Amino acid sequence: MAKYLYNEEAVANLRISDTSVLDRLVDFESARAAHLKKEHAKKDKRMTIGEAVDAFVKDGDVITDGGFSYVRTPHQAFYEVIRQGKKNLQMIGAPNTNQSFFITYGLVTHSHSSYTGAEMRGIDKVYDRALKAGQIQILSEWSHGGVAQAFKAAQLGVAGVFSKQMLGSDIVRYNPYLKVVQNPLKGVHDPVVFVPAIYPDISIIHCHMADKYGNAYIYGPAVNDLAVAAAARKLIITAEEIVPENDIRYNRQGQIIPFFYADAVVEMPFGALPGSMPGCYYWPRQWWEKCMRFGGASAENNKAFCDEWIMGVKNQFEFVDKLGGAKWIAEARRQTKAAEGDNEDIDFSYEEYTLKHDSGIYY
Amino acid sequence: MQDLNAPANPLETLAYIIAQQISDHSVVYIGTGIPMVAGILAKKTHAPNITLVYESGGQDPIEGDMPWSVGCPMTWRKSPTIMEMSYSFAQCYNGYVDIGFLGFAQVDMYGNVNTHMIGKDYHHPKVRLTGSGGNNDLSSLTEKMVLVGLQTPDKFPEKVDFITSVGHLTGGNSRQEAGLIGNGPAAVISPWGVYDFHPVSKRMRVKTLTPGVTFELAQQLTGFELVKPEGDIPETKLVTPEALQIIRTQVDPRGVFTQMPAA
Repeated sequence: MAKYLYNEEAVANLRISDTSVLDRLVDFESARAAHLKKEHAKKDKRMTIGEAVDAFVKDGDVITDGGFSYVRTPHQAFYEVIRQGKKNLQMIGAPNTNQSFFITYGLVTHSHSSYTGAEMRGIDKVYDRALKAGQIQILSEWSHGGVAQAFKAAQLGVAGVFSKQMLGSDIVRYNPYLKVVQNPLKGVHDPVVFVPAIYPDISIIHCHMADKYGNAYIYGPAVNDLAVAAAARKLIITAEEIVPENDIRYNRQGQIIPFFYADAVVEMPFGALPGSMPGCYYWPRQWWEKCMRFGGASAENNKAFCDEWIMGVKNQFEFVDKLGGAKWIAEARRQTKAAEGDNEDIDFSYEEYTLKHDSGIYY
Repeated sequence: MQDLNAPANPLETLAYIIAQQISDHSVVYIGTGIPMVAGILAKKTHAPNITLVYESGGQDPIEGDMPWSVGCPMTWRKSPTIMEMSYSFAQCYNGYVDIGFLGFAQVDMYGNVNTHMIGKDYHHPKVRLTGSGGNNDLSSLTEKMVLVGLQTPDKFPEKVDFITSVGHLTGGNSRQEAGLIGNGPAAVISPWGVYDFHPVSKRMRVKTLTPGVTFELAQQLTGFELVKPEGDIPETKLVTPEALQIIRTQVDPRGVFTQMPAA
């Protein structure tokens, strides 16, 4: 008998010929075994991002997007994954904004999709082109809340949850993991969706502070990351700064990922760039406008843009230099502090990037 | 810089009409774009005591500049708490949220929404769109939903190409039969009109029309047969000069969402 009884209508609709490609994401037993096998001793896990990606991101892994779209997302670690040329990755996230950087270089072949795009900056034409060309296959459609519940179920330590989200929609007809069932306690008709707990192979989570063991602190929206950290078989923590354990103990209680979830700890200032980092730096907004508008226009444009900003720099410090160095740092810090109410209000106006107007300044 | 004396554009009109749906002291779930403008406009005018909730987890912020994204610090500026995403949507399920606002690429005669793809073949779409984001979650759970977008026959088809979010599904009580929470969409707002749903058939019905728009014109802009209400169709109350000045000087002075986007 098959290990999993997937939603057959969805498997057919998505034209998935071999369902074994779906198994890792819901394979609780192997996730638990991986968690048991992890280093549980409180040891110094610091290493470079190159070492961490080399050791823990494997071809074929299910990898999550982190943070929120372009807020506290581990962009710079993702760029290292790209530079190391990993292959056949499946990607999931809520949102799943950053898979297009991977798609550009052929790293992601399968997508679990809840949202791909950049809000008012427009739809993701890289994703659109890749789907039409058959470069990637969608394995499951979700809502943000559906993915969030699946991660949360893993953190709660349950096989799944019964949800009222996605009922009646085409999402349940295009998601092999979801099953509509009758609420078992109700004597009247009451459909619910069984959302299974999901377990990505590898998550990279960018935090504000971590100690060398991997206790990691998030300021601002945690989104799904506390649940994702608990679910993932392997976890790389990147942090703006490494602090003494006692700083976490005495000053940072709240949104903390416990050290024994972490496999690697990487000090990575500016690790969320070109995304924003609450408390630290605001977006280079024109960068995103150019990414979506110029890069969106054609495959050649997109490749040129990514080659310049991802392959053309060795690390986040070169990225910062390219943006404008210390001047960018000061301005971006001032902008986020003002946005958060921790600085005098400032004028947020800027010269928007358009196809007709590229100032060459991206903040 | 905007011309403060220019007549209202369709986006400013839309923001004003949406804002009129918001009652003071309510908890309001806000999607990205024009709903942000409307929420903040309502707060600065007739509904100063509303609480805004955003899907990235921010809620009850002290207003600042216009958020650049639903994840912008402006959505959680000095918030008493920031919710994890699963808990944020759960507030709709649990009955803490009064009204939600969402956009659409397509909306059909029963208020079902598509933000997934345009085309008849899922595997070969004309264009792939973003997918659900929080659209499905809010539509599935929120007591009262208001849908906001532009209106053409393509954007108002008889059937959406993909049901991202269930409105009134196939009409009648089919939404309840499918197991969803809340009353479903109460209104659809476009620059040309405000639509509600017939209480029994749940088909989209004209409620008010923008001055100058006739029922026949609204019908021409729609890909299915609109329900015509009994009697005269009232005109939609247009943005007042005072509200327009507040949009332009206080809510969205840089026109992030209320000026037509650049290419």
